[in-house]
Amino acid sequence: MDKYKYLIVGGGAAGVSAAETIRENDKEGRVGIISDEPYLLYSRVLLSKPNFFLGKIPFESVWMKKEEWYKMNNVEFLGGKIAKRFDATAKTLTLTDGTTFAYEKLLLATGVNAREWNVPSAKTADGKTKKGIHYLRTLEDGKGIMEQIKTAKKAITVGGGFISFEMADLLKLAGLETTMLLRESYFWEPILDSASAKMLEDALAKAGVKVIKNAEVVEVLGAESVEGVVLKDGTKISCDMVMCGIGVTYPLDWIKASGVAVQKGILANEYLETNLPDVWTAGDVAEYKDILLEERTIMGNWVNAKEQGRTAALNMMDKKTPFKFVSFYTTSGFGVNIAFVGDASSGPDRVIIPRGSPEINSYARIIAVGKELVGATMINRTVEMNAISKLIENNVDISAKRAELADPNFDLKKLLN
Amino acid sequence: MANTKEYIRNKEGSKISKVVVDRDLCIGAASCIAVSGATYELDGENKAIIIDPNAVDDTTLVMSAESCPTKAILLFDKEGKQVFPK
Repeated sequence: MDKYKYLIVGGGAAGVSAAETIRENDKEGRVGIISDEPYLLYSRVLLSKPNFFLGKIPFESVWMKKEEWYKMNNVEFLGGKIAKRFDATAKTLTLTDGTTFAYEKLLLATGVNAREWNVPSAKTADGKTKKGIHYLRTLEDGKGIMEQIKTAKKAITVGGGFISFEMADLLKLAGLETTMLLRESYFWEPILDSASAKMLEDALAKAGVKVIKNAEVVEVLGAESVEGVVLKDGTKISCDMVMCGIGVTYPLDWIKASGVAVQKGILANEYLETNLPDVWTAGDVAEYKDILLEERTIMGNWVNAKEQGRTAALNMMDKKTPFKFVSFYTTSGFGVNIAFVGDASSGPDRVIIPRGSPEINSYARIIAVGKELVGATMINRTVEMNAISKLIENNVDISAKRAELADPNFDLKKLLN
Repeated sequence: MANTKEYIRNKEGSKISKVVVDRDLCIGAASCIAVSGATYELDGENKAIIIDPNAVDDTTLVMSAESCPTKAILLFDKEGKQVFPK
């Protein structure tokens, strides 16, 4: 039986970041990465960016690590392999093809899946997703979209988050007539407020994108390929392309069956340790104890995945390091920049400090719990993103600083001293 | 090169003389800022700009370039040879 000192399930940002960190510290221990995709590390975030899609930057830019990196660093990549179960006592892991490996330390960095549309007629009679309906998670998905963009005329996006937003920008730039459908009453509800969302809607209207809120698709027309959709209120919209960005699901069956404690994601403490000995988790799938926010949370962004991969690896090498990091992500489109920092969710204990306003086209909502900041949402104020991250990370007491936080002309960096 | 911004680095003992940000590749992921908030910042177009090319040592600078999910940060040595991405 092949034995790995460090076995990593998941070949994305978190998994590879972990492998990289391991090699920086341990040149000898055998490292293996198991991935259900056949690809070496590629940039998942680049997949929804206009410049990439429309060929403004070369396709090759998508590769983050080439074969030589894996060879030179002696990181074994087992692509196109699916993990079936593992035994935390015997310390073995088995693939669906029957191969079993022994390990000393195991990292679960398996990420999440794109949620599938639950409209029955989105599938053909034999259960396949109709042509023209796209999700975006993998390079394969991306290639399919790039191909259809060349010939499609009318597109619909389904969903009120960043996939729809970025894809709509891209579709419009490619010259397709674009309509956005969301079940919610505004974009990113309830993480953004309706005032922030209105800024986005105005930009979308200006760009000629139709937006239908509180919309639910009940039927997908077309036998093999999508020809249109029907909404709950009976409205019929013709289209030949549908982009679905309706959230994620956490594929945890085999992980749960192997004895790992899960809730929404894989449960972990601040050292990214799971309930099982010598088993860690990192990235989109990790539901970890955030010591800065003092709560259990899941973060689904690039920087979090990279940092968690790094921290998990340090802990796997007995360098006990708590994960202490404020993550964030930004998205742009239609001339609007949006940033989410830390934990931007709403709640009864949250106090929201507005900074700027929709009227000046620059509006942030800074979120405090007690004396400290926990998160922020920002529209066209992403220049301040780093300062706010630091205020959160350093647990700065802002109880006497409400006026400064609310003043859009006050330099937030001054609060960091 | 299209749509790039170049920054000269003259840090004592450094092997890197020039840092370039490709604004076509930059998507505002800001992982570079996470590595070094003293070196980078986001501008009004949500792209990374360099506020101080000499703020950190070579190791940290390379880390910041490696953290970029679109490899928009390019590093050059004194002879003008690109050292990252390799």
